[in-house]
Amino acid sequence: MAWIDQLIHEAQKAVDEVEVFYVEGISISAELKQKKVNLATTSKDCGLGIRTVHNGKIGSSSTNNPDQWRVCLNAAIASGKLATPQTWEGLPAPIPLSRTPLSFDASLEVKPAVVMDLIEKMLTGAEEHPAEVAAGSASLSSATVTLANSKGIRYTDQHTGVSLALEAIHNQSTGYEFDHSSFMNKVDPSAVGERATFFAMESDNGTDIVSGEYDILLSPLAYGELLGNVFIPALSGRNVHAGRSRLGQSLGESVIDSQITMYDDPLIKKANGSVRWDAEGTPARRVDFIRDGILETFAYDLKTAYRFGKTSTGNAVRGGFGGLPSIGHHNFVVDGKRRKIADERVVYVHNVVGAHTANPMSGEFSVELSNAFWMEGGEYDTPIRSAMLSGNVFDMHQRISGLSKESRALGSLILPSIKINKQRIIGK
Amino acid sequence: MQGVHYYDLRQVTGQVTHIDIDNGVVESAGTSFFNKAVIRVLNKTGWGVIQIDNYTPCHGKKFDILLRSACRLARVTQGNVILGDVPHGILTIPSLKEDPRSVDIEEKSALLSGIEQAAVYPSVVNRRANYIEKIENVHFTDSSENEYSYEMSRSGFNVLAVASRNGNVQMGYEREHSIRGFNLRHQQALGKKAAKIAVALLDAGAAKGGKMRAVLDPELAGVFAHEAVGHASEGDLVQEGNSVLKGKTGQKIGNENLTIIDDPGIHEFGFDPVDAEGVAVLRTEIIKKGIINAYLHNRETLSSVGNGVAGHARAMPGEPPLVRMSNTFIEAGDATEHEIFEECRNGIFLRGSRGGQVDPGRGIFQFNAEYGYLVENGECTKMVKDVSLSGEILATLHGIALCGNKRSMSPGYCGKGGQSVPVSDGAPHILLCDAVVGGSGVD
Repeated sequence: MAWIDQLIHEAQKAVDEVEVFYVEGISISAELKQKKVNLATTSKDCGLGIRTVHNGKIGSSSTNNPDQWRVCLNAAIASGKLATPQTWEGLPAPIPLSRTPLSFDASLEVKPAVVMDLIEKMLTGAEEHPAEVAAGSASLSSATVTLANSKGIRYTDQHTGVSLALEAIHNQSTGYEFDHSSFMNKVDPSAVGERATFFAMESDNGTDIVSGEYDILLSPLAYGELLGNVFIPALSGRNVHAGRSRLGQSLGESVIDSQITMYDDPLIKKANGSVRWDAEGTPARRVDFIRDGILETFAYDLKTAYRFGKTSTGNAVRGGFGGLPSIGHHNFVVDGKRRKIADERVVYVHNVVGAHTANPMSGEFSVELSNAFWMEGGEYDTPIRSAMLSGNVFDMHQRISGLSKESRALGSLILPSIKINKQRIIGK
Repeated sequence: MQGVHYYDLRQVTGQVTHIDIDNGVVESAGTSFFNKAVIRVLNKTGWGVIQIDNYTPCHGKKFDILLRSACRLARVTQGNVILGDVPHGILTIPSLKEDPRSVDIEEKSALLSGIEQAAVYPSVVNRRANYIEKIENVHFTDSSENEYSYEMSRSGFNVLAVASRNGNVQMGYEREHSIRGFNLRHQQALGKKAAKIAVALLDAGAAKGGKMRAVLDPELAGVFAHEAVGHASEGDLVQEGNSVLKGKTGQKIGNENLTIIDDPGIHEFGFDPVDAEGVAVLRTEIIKKGIINAYLHNRETLSSVGNGVAGHARAMPGEPPLVRMSNTFIEAGDATEHEIFEECRNGIFLRGSRGGQVDPGRGIFQFNAEYGYLVENGECTKMVKDVSLSGEILATLHGIALCGNKRSMSPGYCGKGGQSVPVSDGAPHILLCDAVVGGSGVD
């Protein structure tokens, strides 16, 4: 793309450094209304994000019209004039990295027939249980991402994606299941359909639960809601240095149960968030945040690292072309000693409603249970109609009494089910 | 064109200006640009939709090529879609008191900084203020020769203060967003308020969960109307069988004081001059004097489900429209604030909102207050933190005993189907009996 070189050349006349992020992609999806496809969509996306650095002042702008790159560049340069200057030690220079993409399935075809096949398989799976399908969708996507900068980086990566979701209802009981992967053979449409109608069926005729402390088992989905909304943001270097993290003063200390390890591994083959370089071109690598319960490091991008005398951990991510790079993760893994955790009688929580309303600073939460059951010997027993789960996400991590043998990939999280002893439930 | 029953095109171009100040540092500030379009074609069985970034308007053969490819896509659909007859027309957009584009970004940044600096306070360890300004130029045409063009400006700010003491971290959060023009002037009081709340919460106790009487302030009661009632009244969910309100029209659901409205036409943050399908916007009385009265609709759900009006289709730029709320509120009743607290007697007063969520099929909602106070003998006493409310929609509506006589609205954003749109919610103070309150406190 000659225009990117031209843009960089032009920018260097006015600023010290420039970075170009360009994404082009296509997608196709089909949406179900009950059991019939009601809507089919194709999209053609493109977006350009420009970041400039001059005398430590960072500017940015974006557009989805790459022909207008000059307007966008001028807006980025103007934006930089407003920013507070900071210590800046330069954008990364290129290093030899494998060009083989990690989250790209060459066999994935972004075609209507493929989407329809996925829909049919989901619906067949849903037939397993007599709940009604309310809505659902299947989508396929393919995108090419280019990162270029004035230090000479010209990296290109490709991503593919397949996403499935199904909602089911039986009387006044709902079930929801989804799946997402970069690889076609890693999703199971039939299981998505089956699980959705299973949970709708199985949760019907729930009973009430008395308020009290219970041993609970959080599914990867329920755990991911609490972890993603509260715990992971507390590992961001930016939040730490801004005083917005409860873990900020705890480096080197035991912060969670000693059997648990938390790390980000961007290089896992075929995982959803795998990349070889982060959103700023820093080579991506494994970062161990918490090892055996001890907090070892926080996540950094270049900007935060330079400002606070740290090193980027390769944790810069972009929500899209439009935003600035910010601190995030690629494949966030919770790991540790695994065991069978569903033998004893527990309250199994499949999902929660309202985790985003938790207090991200203090970690306090109270959320409504969704598809909760009494479980014994790993079997679903009586469903629980409605109750709240309440506590503190940080404190809860001190009381994890076990991790399940299997993990599940949920977007960029790879999580086991976790068992927690003595967690407060508020009954109705 | 053969097989095409209907088509429409909605293109939105515009620009977004933002400023982010974190502890006195201008982290980023600037302007970005967008151009997004969506073309929808309806055949007998469903929709074929093409989303295009960077769309250049075209006519004649070029446009026909787009229609044909959308039509081909629609062939995979299997339903039976009929569009309801609807009124068309566009409302006048309220004039801007001050056009945000007429204020240069340096001045905006200085004003925002003033709000952020107002949150400097003992024990406050972090302050963050964000300004966001979005100018959207919308152009809509359809196969029935309806055509609308308008420009909407939305701007506003958030300010967050974080207070910390001995590992106890609390926050105060204030926001103000408007369709009436630039609103950064003379707003330092909100920065100060955020700081004071964050600091006060350091000494607040944990709420004890359980069933109790709760007074909700207008902001939180508005979120209640939005989460507990608004979503469940969306025609697409009713059509899918995924709403607890399905088939309940005419049923008594609450006391006579309770009327819940959605009105895209009022000049609040969720205002739309015309909906995303080119339909004239109208007020819908979802609950009228305690009785389930009408659903929110787009053209498709109006003809499929009935009972209500279309004009509630909304979309993010470049996305296909969905049935959405706009300005949702509980009508004011006749109780004074004093009467509400007297009647509550002993319970909890919940203020502000950290958002909420609903499972409309199951009829279960959850939302979180920013903070609260215990109510003892009709008086607010001790401050409590991290208090939430959840429950069953139908049972909870019956529990609304009193509605205050003064309503106010709060701006916000609502997510559905991966799209986020501006909304406002509002209510008077309300008294809720048998509220299920969540909190981590125990005896």
